[in-house]
Amino acid sequence: MSLWRLELLRLTRTRRGLALFTVYLLFGFIGPLTARYLNDLLELAGDDLEGATIELPDAVPHDGMAQYVANAMQVGLVVTVVVAAGSLALDAIPEMGAFLRTRVRSVWRLLLPRLVVTFGAIGLAFTLGALAAWYETWALLGGLRAGDVLPGIALGLLFLAYVVATTAAAAQWTKGVLSTVMVALLSLLVLPVVGAVDVIGQWLPSSLATALADLPADKHDLGHYVRPAAVTLVTTAVLIYVALVGARRREL
Amino acid sequence: MIATTALSKRYGEHLALDDVALRVPEGSVYGLAGRNGAGKTTLIGILAGLRRATSGEVRIDAPPERVAVLADAPRFDPWLTGREVVALAQQLTDPAGDIDGVLDQAGLTEAKTRRVGGYSRGMLQRLGVAAAIVGRPRLLLLDEPASALDPQGRREVLDLIARLRGTATVLFSSHILGDVQEVCDTVGVLDHGRLRFQGPLDELLVGAAGPRYEVRLRGPAEPVAEALRRHPWVTHVETGPERLTVGVTAMEYAEAELPGALAAADALVVSFGPEELTLERAFLALTR
Repeated sequence: MSLWRLELLRLTRTRRGLALFTVYLLFGFIGPLTARYLNDLLELAGDDLEGATIELPDAVPHDGMAQYVANAMQVGLVVTVVVAAGSLALDAIPEMGAFLRTRVRSVWRLLLPRLVVTFGAIGLAFTLGALAAWYETWALLGGLRAGDVLPGIALGLLFLAYVVATTAAAAQWTKGVLSTVMVALLSLLVLPVVGAVDVIGQWLPSSLATALADLPADKHDLGHYVRPAAVTLVTTAVLIYVALVGARRREL
Repeated sequence: MIATTALSKRYGEHLALDDVALRVPEGSVYGLAGRNGAGKTTLIGILAGLRRATSGEVRIDAPPERVAVLADAPRFDPWLTGREVVALAQQLTDPAGDIDGVLDQAGLTEAKTRRVGGYSRGMLQRLGVAAAIVGRPRLLLLDEPASALDPQGRREVLDLIARLRGTATVLFSSHILGDVQEVCDTVGVLDHGRLRFQGPLDELLVGAAGPRYEVRLRGPAEPVAEALRRHPWVTHVETGPERLTVGVTAMEYAEAELPGALAAADALVVSFGPEELTLERAFLALTR
């Protein structure tokens, strides 16, 4: 029974992994479906709109991916933070924390499997959801270029690594899962607000979150993401270091 | 095995540990006795590396993976089975440790495949001990391991600790002095963060509290007590209903002089004999 297996069991036995994969795959299948049939759905609801007419342009292929990204980076992000907090709050059960801490020389040995397994599960769920959305977009709306989708997925994964690192840092400087979720979500919500200022926004990790939608839509080219990707990489590393310092400092 | 020098811990204004110089001999079962809030958990937390001392030094003659710690109320992730908890401890400390053997020792063989979320408090405590000993530790730090258990659970855990004698050095904290007296050979008395005494249990029992005699009488005790207080070898006399407790400077005086002194005081003696020396009395004498 290794610390790596402990984390895999945490994902499976607590059903957090199931929640994660269900949410991302569900959005992967529902996103393109919604984009394709939104007009039809509105027509069906016509009698209930009290005479108002809503006209939407015909759906194009990148709308399918945009729907997936919109859902994945909102509801999906909340689920991601909750799942990550459940794993990364080392001392959520203080007695279990003490049990583990007193059996390793460095707390890094506890933190590393949690970071890797948590990010691995989140990344896999996000990728499977994106692939499902890509497939269904092809089936319902038309094909998207692999040269846009695959870098978009990679940039989305980089953003999720940043989310996991943020949650890890929050977990070591607050007490309990709930406070970790609150602090992590709050700090993630601040990003788009600050990013509304375009000059700042193009440097922030949050701009990577929509790359999977924006690249196929030709809103930006890949070069646009070099700066935020570099900032995200550095910030993620710093946040993991902050988490490690916090975990070392904590007294039980 | 453990030596601390001028160890202090402060929480804001509160001094939880004050200049503690702990000496735990190798191979001993050391009982750290003290009231709730005396600083026992803080001291064990510092020794375990879970808390930082404000000042002072700690020296432990064992590598961290050979030091096992058991919290007063162990809790584990409820979705793990008992065997998985011990297997995790084994993997982190001593991969050659006998998982099923220690579970058997802890009386958990039948429950080992059940998830610990359904374990009783006593079972969790015994699981904690099993997880602690699977790594064949050289030093065991046990924080109030039996204090919150029912009598049967307490008995089981104390027996388990008693069986560890000779295999590891054990530091065992408790506010239940009977447990300390039963299990430990060396004692430290912690009071308001200060170590009031440490040494062999016998030394504490004899040294801290002078010898006393229990006398049961028929009739009023106070006139007899008055007569006894006049003798120079009597240090004090406590009276109860038809009962006296006589403190003496030495047992020899009591044996030689007390029968005569009682007869001279016209006491109707039902019985008399030396009071059993208890850690509780020694503790009260030290911390009064």
